[in-house]
Amino acid sequence: MNLGEFEHIVLLAILRLGDEAYAIPIREEIEARTGRSVARGALYTALERLEAKRCLRSRMGAPLPERGGRARRYFTVTAAGLASIRSSRRSLMRLWQGLEERLES
Amino acid sequence: MSDRRSPSPLAERLLSIVLGDGEWTDSILGDLQEEFEIRADRSRHRARLWHAAQIVRLTVRGLAARVRRPRPVVPVPPQPPGDSLMRTLDVEFRYAVRSILRRPAMSAIVILTLGLGLGANAAVFSIVDALILRPFTIHDVDRVTLLSYTKPDDLDKRDSVTAADFLDWKKEKIDVFERFAAFDWWEANIVGRDEPEAVLGFRVSADFFPALGVQLTAGRSFRPEEEIFGQDRRVVIGHGLWQRRFASDPEIVGRAIEINGDKYEVIGIGPAGFDFPTGAQMWAPFAPDATVAANRRGDWLTAIGRLAPGRTLDDAKAQMAVIGERMSREHPDTNRDRKARVYTLSEGMTDAGVGPVLAMWQASALFVLLIACANVANLLLARGAERQREMAVRLAIGASRIRIVREMLLESIVLGLVAVPMAIFLAWGFLKLLVQFMPAKIARFVAGWYEIDVDGRMIFFTIAIGLGAAVIFGLVPALQGSRPRLAESLKDGGRTAAGGVSRLRLRRSLVVGEMALALPLLVASALSVVTVHRFLNGPQGYDADRLLTMRAILSGGRYETPESRRRFAIDAIDKLAALPGAQSAAAINIIPAQGGNWGTSLEIEGVPSDDPNNPPSSDYRTATEGIFATLGVPILKGRAFSDADREGSLPVAIVTESFARRFWPNADPIGKRLKAGNSDWLTVVGVCGDVIHDWFGRRNYPTMYRALRQAPPASVALVVRTPRDPKLLLGDARAALRAVDPAQPLFDLRTMREGLGERTIGLQYIGAIMLVFGGLALVLALIGVYGVMAHMVTQRTHEIGVRMALGATERDVIRLTIGQTGLLTAIGVALGVLLSIALNGAMQAGLLAASSDARIVAGLAVLLSGAALAAGYIPARRAAAIEPTVALRGE
Repeated sequence: MNLGEFEHIVLLAILRLGDEAYAIPIREEIEARTGRSVARGALYTALERLEAKRCLRSRMGAPLPERGGRARRYFTVTAAGLASIRSSRRSLMRLWQGLEERLES
Repeated sequence: MSDRRSPSPLAERLLSIVLGDGEWTDSILGDLQEEFEIRADRSRHRARLWHAAQIVRLTVRGLAARVRRPRPVVPVPPQPPGDSLMRTLDVEFRYAVRSILRRPAMSAIVILTLGLGLGANAAVFSIVDALILRPFTIHDVDRVTLLSYTKPDDLDKRDSVTAADFLDWKKEKIDVFERFAAFDWWEANIVGRDEPEAVLGFRVSADFFPALGVQLTAGRSFRPEEEIFGQDRRVVIGHGLWQRRFASDPEIVGRAIEINGDKYEVIGIGPAGFDFPTGAQMWAPFAPDATVAANRRGDWLTAIGRLAPGRTLDDAKAQMAVIGERMSREHPDTNRDRKARVYTLSEGMTDAGVGPVLAMWQASALFVLLIACANVANLLLARGAERQREMAVRLAIGASRIRIVREMLLESIVLGLVAVPMAIFLAWGFLKLLVQFMPAKIARFVAGWYEIDVDGRMIFFTIAIGLGAAVIFGLVPALQGSRPRLAESLKDGGRTAAGGVSRLRLRRSLVVGEMALALPLLVASALSVVTVHRFLNGPQGYDADRLLTMRAILSGGRYETPESRRRFAIDAIDKLAALPGAQSAAAINIIPAQGGNWGTSLEIEGVPSDDPNNPPSSDYRTATEGIFATLGVPILKGRAFSDADREGSLPVAIVTESFARRFWPNADPIGKRLKAGNSDWLTVVGVCGDVIHDWFGRRNYPTMYRALRQAPPASVALVVRTPRDPKLLLGDARAALRAVDPAQPLFDLRTMREGLGERTIGLQYIGAIMLVFGGLALVLALIGVYGVMAHMVTQRTHEIGVRMALGATERDVIRLTIGQTGLLTAIGVALGVLLSIALNGAMQAGLLAASSDARIVAGLAVLLSGAALAAGYIPARRAAAIEPTVALRGE
């Protein structure tokens, strides 16, 4: 399963967050780590697509008053998601080989 | 722990609509509110704005994603086993709707095309409905009849009954009519209170209002004793006139007003909107004096009758025929050839020319709709090609062909129905424009004009033709689409050679048909434009530029004697000719090409009439000596009138060229003598050029002129020629005539060109509407050509790639594609020419005798071909740009 760059980023952010991964911290994590701003719509689209690809699983938390009585949707990376990340990483690493000197200056 | 309220529930609702209700949407809204609460700690107001903005952005994104998302094949609804037909249709209906929504762009084009086609029909239907089917807002109008008493060859149904005949009919006690009335034009000048004003009035017999079933707003209608000459100074005024001139004063009833110099008592006020006949504003009793009552020759009355309960139109026809025959026996010298006829009021009051014109419009609208249908069918066929595999799969797994046809037809019907509101909207806009631009002066003569509008009947009609059209354009693609070659279609990447060819052939035939239909429409619209142009700007027999005209009606007390009328005319032209900027001025009873006409029966010395019942006749003019110079009508032989042609001198006449040709074909007309009506013998002193008085019935019609000083008319038109813009003279001319008689109202004060324009307004309407139809047909046909050629290029990309790989050049490819277009165009245009020739007769009737012209047909055939080739050239360029490598890689 090939991952787009943004999908790759989203999956890594979710892994970093562990049990607390729902949309708001995921977005903050990405913005903090990559320094680029992320449109909420883009994030939701990516999350939906990743779940459809079975790279993510989601569960609903408890209703919270500060959310108007609505629940958070927590995401966890599935085994398939991990495999996709690994395969993406491997592809990238192979491409990196021999270029370290020129690119890691 | 209470839940906090959302900052913008409405916006949230919006997002839920776009994304759908559910956990997923809920979690997004929750996220937004959670972030909102954090921001709200800093500034609640800004947080609110932020929240709303986020929701709008997500909504827009959600919508865009919906449109862009690759549509999955709509899952076929399961056939409900053993269910009722209604259930099945319900399921299939929903399937059709989803299938339409799946292709929004194409569906929009289909709906727009259909909307145009249906809209044209809806608009024309409204016009036909208002003008022909129900032109009068009269209670029980079907029970009201019009009676005419015409000679066998006379087509005019109105103004055809003589006073003596009408009075005889009344004595007969014709029991088939409950009420029975007659009316006659009455040109009335109202004086006092305000500027003098000329008002269109009618003299009506006492039963006029009851026969029409009209209840007056105030006062009473006429009594039988008011039909007696001398007791007829009573008047009923129209609602509009009452509001306008008398400020809706209810006290007016019972008071006297001055009309034509006499006092008339106002006895009633007509109901709002009632202006029968032809925009009447005032009605007075028809009270013939002894001479008129005995007159069996002058047929100027219009008679109407309301059928008695239980009696039919056929009863009336039968009874009137019997009476007519008896009167022919009793008065053989006048009534021998007259026949009584009975029409419904709607039929009788409608002008003979209206029918063919409207028929032509309806036919044109239908052509436009057919062309639109062909385009839609084309689009659906193209889509059928895309859906071929879907259909093949469904057929392969056991769907019945009937079900697929039914589904596709249902889809067409849904499309047709969705186009209806759009069509009605377009028609509504079109009708608003149409009604608005018609001058009120003309519109009042078109019975029913102000009733033109969108109504239930029009909506019903549009739905009906929408459904009809849906079946027409939907059936072929449905049958075609449900018959794919299974094996071919299911092959991966199958280009479906066999199915494609028959589909393409169908689409080509549709394009050929479109062009064949478009050409006659173009010809009709060009012809009408040419006709209008010729009527307006062609030679008229006089010089219509730089002329100012006006009219005055000299009736009533002050102008009873010929001497007073002569005085007015001579004084008026003297004053007008003396205006600075005026070159010459003249007076005449009837101005060319404007409303009204005056004819006379003739007695030609030495030429005995074949039939004393039907003496020869001609148009009749009486004019001052300056008329020929002022109008620019040439004197071809002899002399013009001079001021020596006055009362007491030799009575003279000048005849037109056509008059001379008709009555003295082989002799010099100068010196010949004739009698006009019951005049003395008149000696012909000159021959003048012909003028076109009326483009339809009075083109170069035999006409005789008398010297106005020898025969002053009751109604005078004044003409002033100026070397400058005639409008500059308006104010001075008005002042000059006020100096002649301050109480005399003037009307139609305008330039000759304005008068001509108004006179031909109906034609201009015909031209403009036909131009719209022609334009629509052309555009739709070109879209059709483009669509088919573009689709063909797409389908043959592979083949073209192969050709190019094997050495075909760009030019070869363009030639191939354009060749295809050319062939289709040639066949279509050839059929169109044939159709134009076949429809020539109908067009002539519809365009009022404008004959078809081979040059116009040929020119338009070339234009249509050129435009079609241009439309086909765009896809041809695209075909030439195909990269063989790319085309072949697609394997």
